[in-house]
Amino acid sequence: MDLENQNRVKEIAETYGVENVVVVLGNLDPGGAEVFAETVTKGDPTYAGPLAGVSLELPVYHIFELKEEVDKDIWQDNVAMMELVLDVEGLISTVKNIRNIYSKNIIPV
Amino acid sequence: MGKYRVVHYINQFFGGIGGEDKAGLLPQVRSGKAGPGIALQNYLGEEFEIVATIVCGDNYFAENTVKATSEILNMIKEYKPDIFFAGPAFNAGRYGIACGAICETVQETFKIPAVMGVYPGSPAADMYARVLTLAATADSARGMEEAIKRMVYIGLKLFRNESLADPEVDNYIPRGIRKNILLPDIGAKRAVEMLVKKLKGESFITEYPMPVFDRVPPAHPIIDLSQAVIGLTGCGGIVPKGNPDRVEASSATKYGTYSIAGIDNLTGDQFESAHGGYDTTYANEDPDRVLPVDVLREMEKEGKIKKLHDIFYSTVGNGTSVDNARKYGQEIAQKFKDSAVNAVIVTST
Repeated sequence: MDLENQNRVKEIAETYGVENVVVVLGNLDPGGAEVFAETVTKGDPTYAGPLAGVSLELPVYHIFELKEEVDKDIWQDNVAMMELVLDVEGLISTVKNIRNIYSKNIIPV
Repeated sequence: MGKYRVVHYINQFFGGIGGEDKAGLLPQVRSGKAGPGIALQNYLGEEFEIVATIVCGDNYFAENTVKATSEILNMIKEYKPDIFFAGPAFNAGRYGIACGAICETVQETFKIPAVMGVYPGSPAADMYARVLTLAATADSARGMEEAIKRMVYIGLKLFRNESLADPEVDNYIPRGIRKNILLPDIGAKRAVEMLVKKLKGESFITEYPMPVFDRVPPAHPIIDLSQAVIGLTGCGGIVPKGNPDRVEASSATKYGTYSIAGIDNLTGDQFESAHGGYDTTYANEDPDRVLPVDVLREMEKEGKIKKLHDIFYSTVGNGTSVDNARKYGQEIAQKFKDSAVNAVIVTST
């Protein structure tokens, strides 16, 4: 996750409190999703950004886990196409795994 | 007693300053730990303290290596480190080379352990494995935690003057050191055991890994040979009679630069082979057999090629190290390019 986005997540968490923030990822590959999920929970695993050594432990989800929560038309317009081509199962299990290890305040989906 | 002092080198990205757009960053020093130094400090424990972190842009270092090294060395000196760490650089080219160059200088100048982490397939791994102990890392920053662990493990061993175990045990890149050890079984038995495992498709560890050679992508083809200047070089040892540059018969430490201006044909009166690895009788009788000046001059006259370049470069390939051969090759290629030679024929023996 680039330095700017790490900063944004950090600021939002500080402003609203970690208990009031949920992170939703839209990564395309499980490897990237893993790094992003770890960054907003345990801290930046690459130790390059503002979240290095900062464990926000935010509840993190991949958008594919939240299909039921999204309006069908919006889903159709924005996500459905990608759902056909991406490794949906891999993305969900990767993010879920990180969430179960490092996130607090998990909302069951 | 105070803590042991650690200085850490990282690039602009890991220093949290930015990516490629900030790669021109001049070296700067920060007191204490930064970026991956947070993990480094955790694994080093209480006995050690990262007193300073040097952050430098990859491009700045690559473009001003000598100047940057001396600037960074001066910064490091101020902090009187007991041990030095750089990176990990993973598979990053410029960053890895910067880490290697600084570690090598620090190790030589301050006589302290200097450890970096790098991916085994990266350019820095090739360049520095023999002079530094390089912790083997993953190819990307996703392997940060493990990379730092390995760097610390190796660093502490060097710091405490403990001997390192084999590379695959202590996770460093092989340094090209061979040691005699005593095994209970003779070589023949071990070799047969390996073969049996291989035939069964089981895994086995070779006792003599084969060297890995570069694969060089072929150059673009010449579109019109009649417009091409052709150069000649080779490792068959053809030199002027008497071998004026003393190119060695084996393990050559140099290559020679010789003129063939006005020469249509290499004769045994004027040229010979300095090579010590083959029977040179026929090469000495007619050196064109190894370096075909005669045929190329004919082609030049017939207009099949525009010109045969008047300088040839020659060395002996017999036992010459790959490192030296690569260096000669790069220098020779550059000289040909500078002389606007379009293609080069490389002959062997």
